[in-house]
Amino acid sequence: CQNSLDLYPLAQPSAEKWYSNETEIQLALNDLYRLEWWQWDEDNTSVNYLSDDGFYRQALTPIKAGTVTSQWDFSTNFWRNGYKAIARANRAIVALNSTETKSKVSQAKLDVYLAEARFHRAAQYAKLVDKFGDVVYSDGVVSIEDAYTIGRTDKKTVITKIYEDFDFAIANLPDAYAATAIKRVTKGVALALKARFALYQQDFTTAAAAAKACIDLNQYTLHPDYGTLFLQSTKNSKEVVFSIPRSLEQKITLGPTSDKITRNSGGFAATNPTWDLFCSYLCTDGKTIDKSPLYDPRNPFKNRDPRCTATIVEFGQPHLGFIYDPHPNAVQVLRLSSNSMVTNNDNRVNAQFASFNGLVWKKGIDDSWLLNGRLIEPEQIIIRYADVLLMYAEAKIELNQIDESVLSAMNAVRARAYKVAASATTLYPVITETNQAELRKLLRIERRMEFANEGLRYMDIVRWKIAGKVLNRPIYGMLDPIDLKAKVVDKGLWFFAGTPTIDEDGTPDFSAMAATGLIKNLVPTAWTDRQYLWPVPTAEIQINPNMKQNAGY
Amino acid sequence: KDAEAQELLNRKVSVQIENRNFEDAITIIEKQADVKFTYRSKLLEVPQKVTLNIVNQSLSQVLDKLLRPLKIKYKVVNNQIILSRLITLALPETLPNTLVYSPNDNNIADIGVKGVVSDEKGEGIPGVSVIIKGTTKGTVTGINGDYNLSVPDGNAILVFSFVGYQPKEVTVGNQTTLNVTLATDTKALEEVVVVGYGVQKKKDLTGAVSSINADVFKERKETQVSQALQGAMSGVMVSRSGGNGSMGNASIQIRGVTTIGDSNPLVIVDGVPVSDVNQVNPNDIENLSVLKDAASASIYGSRAAAGVILITTKRAKTDQASFNYSYERGFDTPTQLPDYMGAQRYMELQNELRWNDAGNGANKFPAFSQDLLTDYNQKHQTNPDRYPDTNWMGMTLNNMAQREAHSVSVVGGSKFVKSNASVRYEKIGGFYENKNYNRVFVRSNNDFTINKIVGGTVDFNFKRTNTVDPTADNPLYRTRIAAPIYPALWADGRIADGKAGENVYAKVRYGGTNRYTYNQIGGRIALDLKPIEGLKISGILAPIFDFNDQKRFNKRVDVYAADDPNQFVASLIGGGLTTRLDENRWSNYSLTTQFLANYGKTIGKHDFTALLGYENYYYKSESIGASRDQYLFDTYPYLDQGPTAFRDNYGTAFETAYRSYFGRLTYSFQDRYLIQANIRRDGSSRFNKDYRWGTFPSISAGWVVSEEGFMRNQNLISFLKLRASWGTLGNERIGNYPSVGIMSFNNALFYQNNVAVSQQTAAQVQYAIKDISWEKTSSVDLGLDAYFLKNKLRFTADVYRKETKDMLLALQIPIFVGFENPNQNTGIMTTKGIDLDLGWTSTVGKLRYSASFNLSQFRSEMGDLGGTEFIGDKIRRNGSQFDEWYGYISQGIYQTQEDVNNSPKLSNNVKVGDLKYADISGPNGVPDGKISPEYDRVLLGSSQPQWMYGGNFKLDYRGIDLGITIQGIGYQRTSLLPYTDYNAENFGAFPVYLDGNTWSMNNTEQQNLAAKYPRYTETNRALNRSLSDFWLFNGGYFRLKNVTLGYTIPQSITKRIMANSIRFYVTGTDIFSLNKYPKGWDPEGLGIVSTYIGGFSIGF
Repeated sequence: CQNSLDLYPLAQPSAEKWYSNETEIQLALNDLYRLEWWQWDEDNTSVNYLSDDGFYRQALTPIKAGTVTSQWDFSTNFWRNGYKAIARANRAIVALNSTETKSKVSQAKLDVYLAEARFHRAAQYAKLVDKFGDVVYSDGVVSIEDAYTIGRTDKKTVITKIYEDFDFAIANLPDAYAATAIKRVTKGVALALKARFALYQQDFTTAAAAAKACIDLNQYTLHPDYGTLFLQSTKNSKEVVFSIPRSLEQKITLGPTSDKITRNSGGFAATNPTWDLFCSYLCTDGKTIDKSPLYDPRNPFKNRDPRCTATIVEFGQPHLGFIYDPHPNAVQVLRLSSNSMVTNNDNRVNAQFASFNGLVWKKGIDDSWLLNGRLIEPEQIIIRYADVLLMYAEAKIELNQIDESVLSAMNAVRARAYKVAASATTLYPVITETNQAELRKLLRIERRMEFANEGLRYMDIVRWKIAGKVLNRPIYGMLDPIDLKAKVVDKGLWFFAGTPTIDEDGTPDFSAMAATGLIKNLVPTAWTDRQYLWPVPTAEIQINPNMKQNAGY
Repeated sequence: KDAEAQELLNRKVSVQIENRNFEDAITIIEKQADVKFTYRSKLLEVPQKVTLNIVNQSLSQVLDKLLRPLKIKYKVVNNQIILSRLITLALPETLPNTLVYSPNDNNIADIGVKGVVSDEKGEGIPGVSVIIKGTTKGTVTGINGDYNLSVPDGNAILVFSFVGYQPKEVTVGNQTTLNVTLATDTKALEEVVVVGYGVQKKKDLTGAVSSINADVFKERKETQVSQALQGAMSGVMVSRSGGNGSMGNASIQIRGVTTIGDSNPLVIVDGVPVSDVNQVNPNDIENLSVLKDAASASIYGSRAAAGVILITTKRAKTDQASFNYSYERGFDTPTQLPDYMGAQRYMELQNELRWNDAGNGANKFPAFSQDLLTDYNQKHQTNPDRYPDTNWMGMTLNNMAQREAHSVSVVGGSKFVKSNASVRYEKIGGFYENKNYNRVFVRSNNDFTINKIVGGTVDFNFKRTNTVDPTADNPLYRTRIAAPIYPALWADGRIADGKAGENVYAKVRYGGTNRYTYNQIGGRIALDLKPIEGLKISGILAPIFDFNDQKRFNKRVDVYAADDPNQFVASLIGGGLTTRLDENRWSNYSLTTQFLANYGKTIGKHDFTALLGYENYYYKSESIGASRDQYLFDTYPYLDQGPTAFRDNYGTAFETAYRSYFGRLTYSFQDRYLIQANIRRDGSSRFNKDYRWGTFPSISAGWVVSEEGFMRNQNLISFLKLRASWGTLGNERIGNYPSVGIMSFNNALFYQNNVAVSQQTAAQVQYAIKDISWEKTSSVDLGLDAYFLKNKLRFTADVYRKETKDMLLALQIPIFVGFENPNQNTGIMTTKGIDLDLGWTSTVGKLRYSASFNLSQFRSEMGDLGGTEFIGDKIRRNGSQFDEWYGYISQGIYQTQEDVNNSPKLSNNVKVGDLKYADISGPNGVPDGKISPEYDRVLLGSSQPQWMYGGNFKLDYRGIDLGITIQGIGYQRTSLLPYTDYNAENFGAFPVYLDGNTWSMNNTEQQNLAAKYPRYTETNRALNRSLSDFWLFNGGYFRLKNVTLGYTIPQSITKRIMANSIRFYVTGTDIFSLNKYPKGWDPEGLGIVSTYIGGFSIGF
């Protein structure tokens, strides 16, 4: 028989007594590194494509269907998770600024902790501003009473606050950690994400300066092999400025993945690269496919930028234990393990739901995806050095300050794709263009080739204001097998019965091809411009009279 | 036996009454001596007033003094004192008055008649008077109900009568053995009802209490007590969730919703709180009472806001010995299952859907090509592997699930020890492979009488439940949505890959099992002291231990190609892709400690009872779990056999406690005016020290109008009582530590030496609401109990109003504060309702029948909540009803492009065939030309059931018994959305009833105007399938709940094998329903089963 009603949690500490010593504050800061807060727009197993890089058969996300409302769960979760991280950062900042903490922890250490917390707050607010424009801003712990009446703060004010946080972080975070130490955020991370935010907000001066400062830290180098950079076996590359690791052993994983695994290997092959993406890769002469003499629609993987076949599985090449071949006549295909021909289920003749456009993803995928019950552990790359270089270039191009540093930043990224030194200008299509419009187009194509399926494309098309174009036309695929054989294969037109033109933003236009009836309109996308800013969640508006919705919703 | 009767008659009594009704005098003596009198209502030919002035004399002396002048005799039978008229009015004064005639007094007769008088249960009734009609000659039955009498000739008519039974007349004829069964008289008023910490006579109740007895459970044969309560009483709403069929739980709500938190009633078994009603073996239940209003429930104060269910289990009586065994066997079968389109039509509809979304012109085969569709069924015949047409539900679900049960009970009672022990074992199969349920109940209730002062009880119960389920995810749902175009099995019988590994049929069969074992051991030790007359002090200690475990062993199942048994195709999806073992164990411990003092006193016309009590409760739960993954073999489901690299474990614990002081006073004046007051003071560990204690008073009163003089001279109303009550109740079930902002731990990964290492993280995820405290419900109840026509017709009505204040509510707080919605004391909710019960019991010759009907209605309205809570398609906000539907107002289906162009829309992607919504408002309070979730959704009516009813009809004739139960809901606004879903998860099947009722580009204009559902679309799915009034329909239903037919073999036959009673029965449950749901859907959800059982019981 017990005697007390004063029962406290047995298995969890109470928040009242937390944040009182250094260890507890560290644990609170650790929480800001959880993957929940660092989901990007599209990740490696995402089926929710927001951009024109990928698609899920005939299903569209509300962004692409133009049906976004304030009840879209993706934006609601985006909002919620961002603010959860902010609330936790704010809670830690309040604790760090308390006299109790100050009496216990040295100022030098305190500054680093504070820098870390403010970095996270800035990064989360930056994500929210990018998506929602004006947001509710608070740098303290909001009481519930106040929360019912707080409205959104002008984006300009928020941007200033975000910059202040980033700048404090940049000033106080270390350049690097010793290999034996726990690797937390650094000055470079703060610079890189500040540059990204500035760029997204069209503040090109700030973006260029931050990117330049990051480059000048000399902490990062490009990974030698573009193809292996994204494999789950590649950890903590010198190219990666900031990432959140995953680990099978530590039980933080992705999966089970099936949507990107080919059907011959027991997957769904349901999310695939678009033809749009495929046709955006330059040829090895540095020209777009509509201009390059090296391009052959009968053999579209030939003479393309190496990142093309590193991203999309080339026909006839081994992939996940089989030769990949969607050709309707390839009813059987070689299984590598037994060296025998087996039914080809990556072919729509045999399998209704094999890739609808013949393409399947390769980037980051290798045979190890089939192990461990299809759980995978690729690190979540938040930002990598190639992005810093291209952001620098883009900001400078937009400022029309095109100089050697711009070209060398772009060429460094491209040369790495060809696995050659940037100085070996004969071994890759070196960029020499200095016309702003032309270089802008090259940069946009370069970004698309480099960052395909890394969750960056959506914000690219949004800030370039081309979503209204690229997300307002059909997603195309192959004709159904019988038609395909009759109209395309038997006529000798496999794979592409035509070549799309590439417009000034580097995006392919298939409308002429579609008119021939030799390709299939899988599903039309129908972007509406109100979606350039996402809607504030319904509940926020309904319970708070001062919360205003974005225009158009 | 005689000693006991003597003990009873020697009890000392003090009675001072003056000029009171005889009946009052008896009642007073009853209370004083703690004995029970039974007598016929017409015991006295004319009402008599009596005066007694007795101090501390023995009961026998008192009775002699009282009864002799009235020519009434008494007899002690089974601890009761039976009063009957001395049929000696015309007899010589010299006859002994203990017996009318001696059994052997046969000198004036020449035919010997003997036999046994028994009740409906076949048990002999002692003390029955057997009189030769028209004479004063007769006898009384012996201990086994046997009698022996001589009658003058065959024309003699014997009259059998006994208090509490309906008298019976039988002509002797040429029989010498005359066995008679007496039917019970309606004694509803004498029924004892279990109330908090005690019992009360039904006629003395001042609160709203419904109760049912063992018969209901005997008849309904439900596995779970909760399911057996459906439709049994007014004001008790039982909602079942399909899925587990007859093994499933059902939620119970008493008088609608009182709180937004946990609306489950508090369940008390033999005075001890337990987690839910299903912890009890239905066969063990003697009585189940539902305390519906605050006055009756407030003795349980803090946790009684949602009502209280009191269960008492069967106990043995003195001089009782029996052994009973029963066996039953039967099966469950789904009440209904929806039909889905076959492969060909599925593909056509998929094409229509894709065409709707893609709008790709003339090609109306966007998903499945024309070639594929042509002659598909023929292709399926010749090559089913390539062209499957799978009936997933048909393959996976069994039509019947077998069940059986054995029950044994042994009862024995002596003066010192009374013992009742029972065992029940039951086994129920599932609808699909690898699903079953079995359960063992053991209970032993023992009462000890040490001496006049000291007694006690020692009870013990054990329950073990095993459940087995496949690891496959939600098989009922998966089989329902699985599209027919995927193969379940290859033509050669091997497992096929289904939809790229999603093959619910094979996963269910071969994918491993998830087993739970629940063990519960409960005990209750009570020591009762009766130190002085009228006072009983009890100390009770009741621990309950739970030891539960789970073993989930998911088996990896690899699928190989149809044409090549060596070509790996996929591993089956659903529940995990690897062979993995999860073992979890958790144990709970609770201890209830009670001290109770009951005191009763009669002073003149005034009766008092008082209760004082103290209760302490402590609960602790601890759990641990471990797992390993990627087993190489699926034959050794033990942790040791798995690879260490993929092991994991966890553990946690929590505890709660509360302490209570409570008391009750009742006062009755001449059984006419009744008043009762309760108070309880509770402290809960869930709240902060300063907000921990709550006080919950109640008061109730009753006026027995029929006791008034002006009601005496009529025969229509036999009993009439008016009741009124007021009281407050509390609720605190809101998680374990709501006043503490708990730090929630997690892990984040960092690089160290280029390796991902895990670091612990901590975050506060909820506001600490320090001043969180009791939720308080006050309720007012006005009730009427009326019995007519000598109690044949019974009517009870209650109207009530409940108001919950400081409601514990997880209001929607602004999302941007970054914390979860916390529970707060905010908000008011008012529930008004009525409960009606009507019953009729009568006999026609040997036919005994009864009928009862109950009806309840409530309406819960939200007051000022201080905010809003969104619950999917429902809302709780100021002025709304509880969980009111919240959505758009539909204006039908768009029929023309022009209409689309000129109407406000949710998005630009709205097309002809989609739903059109009304533009209600906008940011400025006026319609803004756009449809938006913020401004254009409105309240669409209560989602709660209206006019719930239940009814029961019983019939008894020459050993044949028939029972029929109905149950239903008069009206309920229900959403059609779950029943009209198609293309679920972007591939799912299409229900048959959508076909032809859906707007389609292939339809004529006329057909589209008549379409019941908007066009098929995936892109605009959310748009059309948001909640709007378009989707609401009347989901009320009528159900034939149960039919039971039994036959009890006459005792004259069963006696030959020494058996006391043998009964055979068949029973059917959930036989059919009438409703407006789409075809194939049971109104209570998928997985509701009809149960048919046959069984027998034998008693010795």
